[in-house]
Amino acid sequence: MAARILIVEDSPLVTDAFRILFTESGYEVDVAATVAEGIERGAANTFDLMLLDLSLPDGSGLEVLEALRERGVPPRATLAMTGYDDPITRRACLDAGCAEVLVKPLRIGDLLRHIERHLA
Amino acid sequence: MSMSDQLDPAALKKRLKALEAQAKEAQGTIAELKSRDALKTQFLSNISHDLRTPLAAIITHAEILRDGMLGELNTKQRDSVRGIMNGGQQLLDMIDEILTYVRGASDQVKLARTEFSITEVVDQVRLLNQPLAAKKHLTIERLNGDDVPPIYADRDKLKHVLGNLIGNAIKFTPDGGRIWISLSRRGKNGNELLVEVGDTGRGIARDNHELVFREFAQVDASPSRSHHGTGLGLAIARKLVELHGGSIWVESELGKGSRFFFTVPLNGPRE
Repeated sequence: MAARILIVEDSPLVTDAFRILFTESGYEVDVAATVAEGIERGAANTFDLMLLDLSLPDGSGLEVLEALRERGVPPRATLAMTGYDDPITRRACLDAGCAEVLVKPLRIGDLLRHIERHLA
Repeated sequence: MSMSDQLDPAALKKRLKALEAQAKEAQGTIAELKSRDALKTQFLSNISHDLRTPLAAIITHAEILRDGMLGELNTKQRDSVRGIMNGGQQLLDMIDEILTYVRGASDQVKLARTEFSITEVVDQVRLLNQPLAAKKHLTIERLNGDDVPPIYADRDKLKHVLGNLIGNAIKFTPDGGRIWISLSRRGKNGNELLVEVGDTGRGIARDNHELVFREFAQVDASPSRSHHGTGLGLAIARKLVELHGGSIWVESELGKGSRFFFTVPLNGPRE
């Protein structure tokens, strides 16, 4: 069965591109644009991997992961995406339970490699 | 002002009052300018973030096409997609440059010092710029530096400074020219590293030696200028060098090439 990826990111331009990329790479994809949507989608389905943007219109992306962990349904791996690589943000992501912090803009080759590694 | 005016207490008082009013007005103007400058910096930061997102999407789509994920492309299609990616990457680099500047201007940049070989970093930046230099038949050589000891500084920030200086040298040196990097020690007990990035390019008139390090400044700022960019590269380089406790300057004459120098302590403070 195809691995399921949840993309939590507020820009439809980015999620559209990722949806094509992941679907063509053989994954099943779902998308959420806000913290609230992320929690709702994440709780309604089991995901193998969550790609999590940190700045969302209604709060920090890390709140999605916290809520899913509290409900006992976190994805197998969560990869955080941030525009700025600073040690404090990185620490906060790892403390919240993210497996990795990816710095935007992401090259598709790198992104697919990271995902494959965490799904292996 | 006549002698009697100077001695008249009433006139003196009046004059003092006028000066006080002027000083107050000037302070008000300074505060207003500072707040406008902060607003401008915030605007730059917001707009850069907002420009980056759609641009990242464009590049991702182009990469998907380039990698044949939606079907194999013929040579012409691949060349066209490569054009989209190169243009996108150039824009992204410029936006990142603005973001780096904004962070520096709002004191968000902190140094993360480690011990490393500066000659290795110079060689990396040289290699990175080789394809661009080759297009203009320029040579980039490191003249010396094998004997320079490891430096304790922020590796990425110094790499950024070198990248900006070498990038500028490539930009402003005509075909067939020469670019060199020289490393030496100076100061008390040789505890300072002196880096020179020189070129045989068009040079900079003496009057503009200070101007080139100012943000947004370009010697030729006309819309028809032959070299485009953010005008931030050297301002960022100066900020990063000064954060290290060093200094940066240029020695140049119009038509006789340029030699940019910067210094950084070899052994920065250890926290």
